[in-house]
Amino acid sequence: MSQIDSSNNTAKNSQGKLLIDVGSTYFKISNNTDIEQHFRDFNKSILDDLTYKCGNKIEGFDKKDIHICSSANGGLSTLIIGVTQSFSLKFATNIAFNSGINIIDTVLFQNIEEYSVPSDLIDVVIIVGGIDSNPDNFSDSLYRYLENLTYSNVVFVGSELDAPTIKENIKDVVILPNIIDNRLHIVEESLREYLTNLYQQDIEGKEDIKDLYTITDNQIFSTPYVVNKTLPYIHTKYAVVDPFILLDIGGATTDIHYSKDLVDENIVTENEYDRLVFKKLGVYKSKQSLIFAAKANEFVYELLMHLKVTENIFEVQSEKATKILMQLAIFLVLCKMSHYQKGYINLKLLSVNSFVLTGGITKVLTVEEIEDIISFFYKKILNSEHNPATVLDTNYDIWTLSANEIAEGK
Amino acid sequence: MKVVTGVVGNDIHVVANRLIDLSLQARGYEVFNLGVNTYLEEFFDAVIETGAEVLLISSLNGEAEGWGREVPRLKAKYKKLDDVIMMIGGNLVVGTGNAEDIVPRYKGYGFDIVCHQVDLNTGLDSLEEMLIERKLK
Ligand code: B12
Repeated sequence: MSQIDSSNNTAKNSQGKLLIDVGSTYFKISNNTDIEQHFRDFNKSILDDLTYKCGNKIEGFDKKDIHICSSANGGLSTLIIGVTQSFSLKFATNIAFNSGINIIDTVLFQNIEEYSVPSDLIDVVIIVGGIDSNPDNFSDSLYRYLENLTYSNVVFVGSELDAPTIKENIKDVVILPNIIDNRLHIVEESLREYLTNLYQQDIEGKEDIKDLYTITDNQIFSTPYVVNKTLPYIHTKYAVVDPFILLDIGGATTDIHYSKDLVDENIVTENEYDRLVFKKLGVYKSKQSLIFAAKANEFVYELLMHLKVTENIFEVQSEKATKILMQLAIFLVLCKMSHYQKGYINLKLLSVNSFVLTGGITKVLTVEEIEDIISFFYKKILNSEHNPATVLDTNYDIWTLSANEIAEGK
Repeated sequence: MKVVTGVVGNDIHVVANRLIDLSLQARGYEVFNLGVNTYLEEFFDAVIETGAEVLLISSLNGEAEGWGREVPRLKAKYKKLDDVIMMIGGNLVVGTGNAEDIVPRYKGYGFDIVCHQVDLNTGLDSLEEMLIERKLK
C-alpha cells in the first residue's frame, strides 16, 4: 500500500470524491474541501434525510464517486460454543469482536447442558474445538442444544476430523478451516472473512441502507471496518507515538482500536490492530445505559466531584451535561480495558503512549478536558503518574483517510 | 503420543523448557510447548484441545507448591482429564527439600510422576515405564 502524504492528503486523494458516514446519531459528509455534520432526523429514512440536507452537494457527484460507510445498523449477534476458555472460546471471541459482531454468549461445551438457551434469534452460531488431529470433541448434547436455539447461520471452525460428523448432524452448517492450528495458535482469516461478509450482507439487507445504493455505485462498508483500515497510516496525519489506542466515542457505541502489542494475552495473530466495540456505551442513543454503567462504578462519584458536579447532572439536558457524559464515557471505557475490570481483554495501559480520539466527542470536549479524565484514571485506578499524549481528530481525518484508501480499492 | 508441556505460573526459567521440548521430540513424542509463564488452566485447556495423553509441567523458581495445591480443585472442573498422565518436575520446593516428603505430597495433588531435582532423562524414562505399564505404548 502506498504511503499517504500528510500535508495535502485529503485534497489529493478525495479529488472528485464524496465520502458519507451514516452514524446512529448524525451523519458526516466530506468532499475535498470540507466536512459537514448533521444530526439525523429519525422521522425520515436515511436517504430522504440525506438528500434533504445535502441534496445539492450529492447531485454534484457521479454515483461512482460517492463512497458510503455506515455504523447505523445494529450489527450481528453470535453465540460461540467451544471446548476450552483459553483456546477455542478465546480465539473465536477475538475473531468475532474483530469482525464487528456482538457476542451474546459463550458456551463451554462440556457444560452445555447446564446453560439456558437464549430466546433471542442468534444471527450466527460459531462452533469450535480441537486441533485437526484431535477427534470427538463434540457429542449429541451439542445437537440437542442447537435444536432448541433459533439461529440464522451456523459455522464450524474446529477439528477437521469432527467436520464430517458435524456436517451430518447440523443442517446447513458451513464448514471452514480450523481457527486453531497444530501449534495451538489462532488462524483468523477464514472465519473473519466469513463473519465480515455476513456483517456486510446484513448492512446491505437493511432497507434504509439499501436505499443508499440509489446514490452510490460502490459497496457500503461498516464504519469500524473503515476506521480500522486507517490505523497503519495514522502517523501520516498525526504525531502519534506507538503504541496507541484510538477511541471512537459516538452516539450509540464506543469503538476502541488498539495495537496488538498492548495485549497481555499470548494470542499471536497476523493483524496488527484489534478492535473492540462497547455496545450501549454512547452519549445519545445509549445514554441511559451509559448512566447505568456509570452508577455501578465505584469511582464515578469521585470523578463527578473532581469535575465539580453532582449526580443530578444525569437528569439534566444541557451542553454541560453532554460534556460530563462524554468524560464519563472515556473513564468507563478505560476502566473496561484495564485490570480494574476483568473484561474480555486487558490492555497494557501503562505502555500506551498516545490516545487518539475521534467521533462526536471531538466536537464537544477540548484536549484539556480529555487529558483531565485520562490522568484522573491513571492516578485513581492504576496509581500512576503516567501521562500519554492526547490527539484529537477534530476534522474526521481518520475516517476520510481510510475511506479514501478503500475508495481507491486498496 | 502427544505431550503438553510448559513452565507453570510466573516462572520464566526457559532453559529446561527448551531441553524438555527437544528431548521429548527426540524420543518421538508430539510436543505442544506452551513455554514459560503458563497458568494451570491453560495447561488443562491445551490437553483438551490437543487430546494429549501426557501433561508435563516444569517449575524451577519455587512456585510449584502453590500451584500444586490448586490442581485438585481446578482439575475437578474438567470432565475429560481423568486419563491424562500428569507429571511435574524441576525444583518443587523452595531450597533443596526432601524427595521422600515431596513426592507423596505431589501425588496427593494428582500427579502420577513427580521428579524433584531429578535429571531429565531419568524422568523421561519413568514416563516411558508408566506408558508401558498402562499399555499406552
Ligand atoms: C539462569 C537462572 C535465572 C535466570 C533465568 C533466565 C531464563 N530466562 O531462563 C534469571 C536471572 C532471570 C533468574 C531469575 C530468578 N531466579 Co533463577 N536461576 C537461574 C539458574 C542459575 C540456572 C537455571 C538454568 O537455566 N539451569 C539450566 C537448566 C537446564 O537446568 P534446570 O532449570 O535445573 O532444569 C533441569 C532440571 O531441573 C530438570 N527439569 C526441569 N523441569 C523438569 C520437569 C520434569 C518433569 C523433569 C523430569 C525434569 C525437569 O531438567 C533440566 C535438565 O536436567 C538457577 C540455579 C541453578 N543453577 O539451577 C536459578 C534458580 C532456578 N533461580 C532461582 C530464583 C529464586 C530466581 C528468582 C526468584 C530470583 C529473584 N529473587 O529474582 C527469579 C525468578 C524469576 C521468575 N519469574 O521466574 C532459584 C530457585 C529456588 C528454588 N526453587 O528454591 C534457583 C534454583 C537459584 C537458587 N539456588 O536459589 N534465574
